[in-house]
Amino acid sequence: MIEIDDLHKRYGDKTALTGVSFAVKPGEMFGFVGANGAGKTTTMRILMGVLAADSGQVRWDGRPLTFEDRRKFGYMPEERGLYQKMKVSEQVQYFGRLNGMSAAQAAKATADLLERLSLTERAGDEVGALSLGNQQRVQLAVALVHGPEVLVLDEPFSGLDPIAVDALAEVLLERRSAGVPVLFSSHQLDLVERLCDSVGIISAGRMVASDTVEELRAREGRRLLKVVVRDAAPGWTAGLGGNITEKGDEVLFADVNGSDQEILRAATKAGTVEHFGWERPTLTEIFREAVA
Amino acid sequence: MSGLWLVARREIATRGRTKAFVIGLVISALLVGALAFLPRLFSGPDSYTVGFVGSSTLQPALTGADKDVTITTKPFADEAAARKAVLDGEVDAVVVDDRRVLADGEVDRELGLLLEGAHQTAQAGKQLAAAGLDAAKVAEAMRVAPLEQVSVGADTRYAGARTGIATLLVMLLFFQLLQPSMYVAMGVVEEKGSRIVEILLTSIRPWQLLGGKIVGLGALALLNLVVVIVAGLGAATISGFTSDMPPGIGGVVVSTLFWFVLGYAFFATLAAALGSLVSRQEEVSSVLTPMMMLIMAAYFVSYFAAIEPGNSVARILSLIPPFSSMVMPVRTAAGEVPLWEMGVAAALMIVATGAVLILGARIYERAILRTGARVKLSEVVRDGSAVAR
Repeated sequence: MIEIDDLHKRYGDKTALTGVSFAVKPGEMFGFVGANGAGKTTTMRILMGVLAADSGQVRWDGRPLTFEDRRKFGYMPEERGLYQKMKVSEQVQYFGRLNGMSAAQAAKATADLLERLSLTERAGDEVGALSLGNQQRVQLAVALVHGPEVLVLDEPFSGLDPIAVDALAEVLLERRSAGVPVLFSSHQLDLVERLCDSVGIISAGRMVASDTVEELRAREGRRLLKVVVRDAAPGWTAGLGGNITEKGDEVLFADVNGSDQEILRAATKAGTVEHFGWERPTLTEIFREAVA
Repeated sequence: MSGLWLVARREIATRGRTKAFVIGLVISALLVGALAFLPRLFSGPDSYTVGFVGSSTLQPALTGADKDVTITTKPFADEAAARKAVLDGEVDAVVVDDRRVLADGEVDRELGLLLEGAHQTAQAGKQLAAAGLDAAKVAEAMRVAPLEQVSVGADTRYAGARTGIATLLVMLLFFQLLQPSMYVAMGVVEEKGSRIVEILLTSIRPWQLLGGKIVGLGALALLNLVVVIVAGLGAATISGFTSDMPPGIGGVVVSTLFWFVLGYAFFATLAAALGSLVSRQEEVSSVLTPMMMLIMAAYFVSYFAAIEPGNSVARILSLIPPFSSMVMPVRTAAGEVPLWEMGVAAALMIVATGAVLILGARIYERAILRTGARVKLSEVVRDGSAVAR
């Protein structure tokens, strides 16, 4: 298990992190979300040891992370970095070897990964000649080549087309199933919601939420009642309690407070009820609420 | 250690495969090879064709005069035919009846001296024989040992060749120290600017990355140097220039390689440390300015030392690092250098290189992850704890 414990970081006068703590369990996909500049990248760089925290600790299975531990991690930094003039296959193998693989191991792992990421045909091309999407796949191959025991990926999905997103998601889910803790940051909340078991929300350098997606939903107090009535007479909602938002036939009731049955009776009287049910808050809604 | 070798191997594979490197290697080898032929082209031919009209007593004296010069003789029936041959360039000169020399314009200086010497010998012998002296005794008397040349100053017999070799060495060292150091700095900035360094440094230590880069690019520079030296010496052997070369050329080669390794380690580490302060290739040349000034200064002093190896400024600077890395090998090639001076220079340079390696590695380690604006040198030297973006 990766534990981030009470990280603090200042850049001069600017506070970047204030007591950031969360944990990623083995076999858990952890989505790290937050607005631009909230502290995601800073946290991940501290986790990977390329940045020193002012205080706080990162632990792996209960003991402080060492350089040797981090060699077993797969890392994709926020700003993509590859040797533009180096060939795809050579480059991926090179990083495998730097992480202690033999030449044969690195060659095999590289061939497998390039196949998985549909890059086999480009194996002999210089990285600089590839499209940005393909360069990103190479970047992912570099992070994965040595069969890492932990994955730390900063915005791995940004700039990818839907097919590449699916390919990447598949690889990540497979690593997770193999018991690898996967931590990635993203702005694509629907994607995080779809893939992640747990989510951490950071705002202005503080963790405002960190839990499983189910827990976060349950904790979200504002439940919405969605009612769709066809051919309803205008103004049928008049006099009903709660905070009402109307959009065509669709009406959303917030802060219902037990008057749900009364709303149902009014709806049946007004017309044909097509839909009546509680809305599960989306991650986007939870996120907006959390950082508000 | 394996991390360092992997990095070095990548550098060699990447840089050594570029067209620029291969073409540069071939051109410099050809250039130095051609330069080794130059002295021959300028010193004029060592063989002459001389025509003779009428019987000549001068002829045997001429052909045996100088072992280093080949004289081919050619008889002519009359002067008119001989004049035509001179104008056509068939012969360099024609001796007519042992009294006159015909040439197209002036007689070649060396040939003129040989002809005059042979003439003196032949005529003196003839006149002494006419005075009734025994021919064998005359020949005996005429055999005079040449004057022995003794220099009371420095041995200047090979001064010209030594100056030539030293001048060539100045250029060679200048380029082979400057260019790979630039590549080291550019490579450091490439990795820093593209943030590859963030991934690299989660796999290997900064000293492995820095050391591998310096070792790899240094190996290529050393290869370049060796190829150029081999090409130069090879061409000199073929052209016959080696006979004019001073003794101890092997020592010059060894000293050059020794000083190159030290000088390269010094300047390349300096270049890497300075390069790690910036994040963009456009900033490389400005951040390297202090190093360039140092190499340029060493270059000018070495050039001066090649011509005036005994000058006291050259002597003093040949002891002081990092100037010694260029001035000392050039002085060694240009003239005799006392052993103790070499020893002092080497000891000082080894200490200086060690210090630069330690300090440079520290600066690199602290600055390489601080991307963005140019990092101030004073910041990284003073405070190593804060690795910040």
